[in-house]
Amino acid sequence: MTDLKEILNSGEELSQEAIERYLQGKASEEERFAIENQMADSAFLDDAVEGLQGFKDPAKRDDYVEQLNRQLQKYTAIRLARKKRRKLKEQNWLVIAILGILLLCVAGYLLIHFYSVKH
Amino acid sequence: MHTDRYEHMEDNELLERFYSDRDNQWLGILLQRYTLLLLGVCMKYLKNEEESKDAVQQIFLKAITELAKYRVTYPKSWLYMVARNHCLMKLRDRNQVLSVEERFELAAPESDAKELADKENTLNLLESALEELNPEQKSCVILFYLQKKSYQEIVSITGYSLLQVKSYIQNGKRNLKILVEKKQQRNND
Repeated sequence: MTDLKEILNSGEELSQEAIERYLQGKASEEERFAIENQMADSAFLDDAVEGLQGFKDPAKRDDYVEQLNRQLQKYTAIRLARKKRRKLKEQNWLVIAILGILLLCVAGYLLIHFYSVKH
Repeated sequence: MHTDRYEHMEDNELLERFYSDRDNQWLGILLQRYTLLLLGVCMKYLKNEEESKDAVQQIFLKAITELAKYRVTYPKSWLYMVARNHCLMKLRDRNQVLSVEERFELAAPESDAKELADKENTLNLLESALEELNPEQKSCVILFYLQKKSYQEIVSITGYSLLQVKSYIQNGKRNLKILVEKKQQRNND
């Protein structure tokens, strides 16, 4: 009856490989129980397994996952590059503004100096 | 970035890193953990492989944009909610109405459940609580947890549909937790 205590536990986080083995009917008894036990707790996993079982060709499903992961990586990398470029642009403007102010100060100083020497 | 290197990091840790340096690659690692599950959820609702793939792409974009705007405490449950809402909107656009039962993730109270399981008298309470379940829930819970039968095996043994078996186990489990908590409270008083 000690197994009854498992009702109160949801178990460890599942790996993608374990879920794939379960979908292919290749999971061990232990893995199968762990997945179904979590399905009883998690609507996310329950819905996902039900949907994944609807794919006619498991190879196509895996291919989709790979494609999605590649696109995700590309997308997060592009967004980061854009952010960096924007930051660089902002920094450039800051440098130009500082140089402009310095130039104005020097010009002002020279102008005052020039007039004071002249008079 | 190789995602394997970050396997040891919890979802919340990845999110914290993103919130501190705003590097989207942290979100990439986090979202990649759920690609398969999200594809499954979309497939369950949309029943179309190509459309499900496109939906996951849109969910990723939405997640990247939304996560940058506000803090999320339970990313897994949040992603599930985003995916489900996205699919339901798509179905609504198709004028397809779906009855979706409201189910909640039980991830948050997990620590309470562990605490409960550790208590010595919990087993006795569980045994007596089991007797209080309705016959359908009781038989499915016993077959699943004590006899370690799979969902499919329980379907063949009991003659219930897969949906019924899942529902009896889910509800039986939830009712058992409630009954045990009540009994423990009564014992403490």
